[in-house]
Formats: sequence, structure tokens, C-alpha cells
Amino acid sequence: MKLPAGPGLVFASFIAAYLFNSLPWSGWALLARPDLVLVVLVFWAIHQPGSVGQGLAFALGLAMDVGDSMLLGQHALAYVIVTYGAQVLGVRVLAFPILEQTLHVLGLFIGASIVVVLLNLLLGASLPGLAAMLSPALAALAWGPLTWILYLPGLRRMRRESAA
Amino acid sequence: MIREPPPFFHRGPSPLARLTFFALLAIATMIADHRFGALDAVRLSLSVLVAPLQQLAAAPATAIGRIADYFSSQDRLLRDNEELRAKLLEYAADAQRAKLLQAEQDHFLSMTPARSRFATDGVLAEVLSYGRNPFVRKLVLDKGLTQAIKAGMPVIDGEGVVGQVTAVGTFTSEVTLLTEKDQSVPVMLTRNGLRALAVGSGKDGSIDVPFMPVSADIQNGDLFVTSGIDGTYPAGLIVARVTAVEKNAAYVFAKITARPAAGVDNHRFVRILTAARLAPPPDARADEKRPARERAPAKGRRQP
Repeated sequence: MKLPAGPGLVFASFIAAYLFNSLPWSGWALLARPDLVLVVLVFWAIHQPGSVGQGLAFALGLAMDVGDSMLLGQHALAYVIVTYGAQVLGVRVLAFPILEQTLHVLGLFIGASIVVVLLNLLLGASLPGLAAMLSPALAALAWGPLTWILYLPGLRRMRRESAA
Repeated sequence: MIREPPPFFHRGPSPLARLTFFALLAIATMIADHRFGALDAVRLSLSVLVAPLQQLAAAPATAIGRIADYFSSQDRLLRDNEELRAKLLEYAADAQRAKLLQAEQDHFLSMTPARSRFATDGVLAEVLSYGRNPFVRKLVLDKGLTQAIKAGMPVIDGEGVVGQVTAVGTFTSEVTLLTEKDQSVPVMLTRNGLRALAVGSGKDGSIDVPFMPVSADIQNGDLFVTSGIDGTYPAGLIVARVTAVEKNAAYVFAKITARPAAGVDNHRFVRILTAARLAPPPDARADEKRPARERAPAKGRRQP
């Protein structure tokens, strides 16, 4: 029987996602970059709501804002809203198979993208190119493989059933 | 419609209460950063924390770039070498003339209390990467606080002005390109000395020159250089070349578009101009707080 993931796995998954986001994307690829930190955040918010909460989402959002040198607080707001959505929908999402789960989280990721774009429009930037619409789609596509990876037996401790 | 699932364990505030708190906190953070610039210290300390991860993430791309450079053909290196030597000879004559002019200028300036408008000091910096903000195009350079770089220093490359340093970290700094929104450079036409303001348009890497009356003498192909009036950009640096001039008598101002002369998309090395500002930075916020009757005499005093 699999134990819930320890804090080590949660931390390592966030570090790996942040490294992916921090790769030197530019131009078209930057607009279409899937926000893996958001995907991992939603994953843990749904599968282990006790481990991550909105406080962690806020802190991760600030880290992303600093890393991308954007106005502090944009991603924080988007991540907090999405984490709330994940907490509200979490129990329901787990009841569905992977494909329908992907559709649920796609809605959450589109919400995050819209929040960031709206905030930047308010600040006076222009609408990003069409490639920006790829970002939530790619992030949702990453949901399935990520679920598979983070449930690999090698990454989770297994508890041996004691003999009756 | 959507109700929160019944909590199995009561652990602190409900999700909605938490959302309200953190959403308000995020909005307060944005306001503090955007309007008051109060969070620069927070940003600096957070950037020190995430810097190792950023460097780790950038390492593969840098390594691949260096390996590709190592294996570039000898043919290409010889050709580049020849081109650079030819350019060096071309610039040598200009450099000698500039030294003579500088000496003359120093002689004239020694007779008045004014200071030279032209830049002398600079630091070479390598472009590490393009900033990852998809809405504003920036460059990340490898010089920072430890090399005494300050926000506001102009940055140039071999062909012209690239932009201005907008944020400085411990070991890196960020340059916002002059084609981005709200980046403005006081410029002058080389042909007839017409003074104008070049403002980035924020899209397509082009520059607008607003507030030019329809009767202004500007043509396609004219060259803009910095006029050095504001004290931030030293005078004489090439900025942009006019690409389109639309003069419609129905409007008061002409619509002028220009393309920056610097290679804004293909940088490797740039020069940060570190000479001290020639004029103290305008304290715009103090101006707003003063009541209207106090502002009028101040305006009168500033006119020469």
C-alpha cells in the first residue's frame, strides 16, 4: 500500500518544476511555456491538500514573479485563486479518470492565464500573441504524465502489509 | 452550484476565507510594488534566494552555446576577424578626431562651470539571457551591484542605444529595451537639430516619436541621436532611424515611426555607461504633492 508522499518528494517536485520554468525560454516559446510550477501546485492541492495550501501558493507565486522579473504579486494572485479552485474541486476531480481530470485542470490553468493577462492589460501592456493560448493547453497535457511520474512506486514509500 | 466539500477535519479558516486574505495580500503587494516601489528590497532578497536555481536552469543552454562556439569553423572565424579589423581601422580615424574634439571641449569647459554632455566611462557586460517577462522585453546582463551598476544607467552596443538598466541584482542586472512601452529617450535629428522625444511603442520593436507638429521637418531615413538634455543619456549616441512619417492635416501631430539602430534582437555584448548623471533625477512625486499655487512660481524659476 502506498504511503502519501513525504515532504521531500513535494519539495523536490517544486524545485524541478521551477527549474523547468526558469530555463531560458524566449520569444514564441516563452509565451507558450507550460507553467509546471502551477501544475505541480494543483497536483498536490488535489491529491494531498494537507501538504500544500494557499500560503505556499502565495509564496510560489512571489518566487515566479521574482524569477520572471514581473510585478510582484501577479502570479501570487493567480496561484492563490487556482489553489482555491483546486481545493473546492479537489474531491470531485479525484473521482474522474485521467482524461476528465485533464479537462478539469485545463479550466483551472486557463483561469490562471486569464488573471495574469488581465493584470498586465491593466498595467498597460498589450495582449500577448496567440502562442499564449498554448500555455494552459500544454500545462493540461502535462497533467497526465505528471500524475504518473509522481505516483511511481520508486518515489513513494511502500508499507508492507503485516501478516494477519 | 459549486459548494466546497464538507471539511473532514476543521483545520483553520475555510478555503474562501483564506482566498480572500491572500487575494487582498496579493493586490496590496502589487500596489506597493507598482505605485510606491516599496518592495525593491524584498525583490532583491528573493532574487538572491532564487539565483542559484536560475543559474542552474540556465547552465545547459550556456554550455551548449559555448560548445557550439568552440566548434565553429575556422573559416568563419577568419572572416569575422577580417571584418572586425576593417571596422577597427574605420573607427580609428573617428577615434583620433574624437580625442582632439574632446581636448578642445575640455579647454572650453574649463572656462565655464558646465560639464560635458558626452559619455566617457563604460563597462563591458555580457548578455546572459533575455528576461522571462512575456509582456516587456528585457536583457539580463552579468554585471550587478558588485560592479557598482545602478538603475537608470544607459546601455549601448556597437550600433546605438539599447536601453536603460531598470533593475539591479547582486550579480546581474536587467536592461529594458528602448522599444518597450514608457521607455523614452530625448533625441535630436542629426540633419537639422530638431529636438524630440523617442518613446517605445511596446510592440514589434518599433519606436514612436509623438508630439511632433505636422509642419515639422522630418523625413523618412532621418537619423536620431541622443540630445543629452535630460542628463541621463549622454549626447551623441545613435538611437533610431525614421521609417515612416504620416502627416495628416486633420490631426495636430504627425505620426512618426522609427526603428532602433542597435541590434535589439541579436546581442552578445553591450556596454553600460557608468558616468555619473549630469542632472539630478526629477522628483516627480514631490511635485504632485505640492499645492498648485506653489508650483507656478517654481515653473517660472526653471525657465532660463
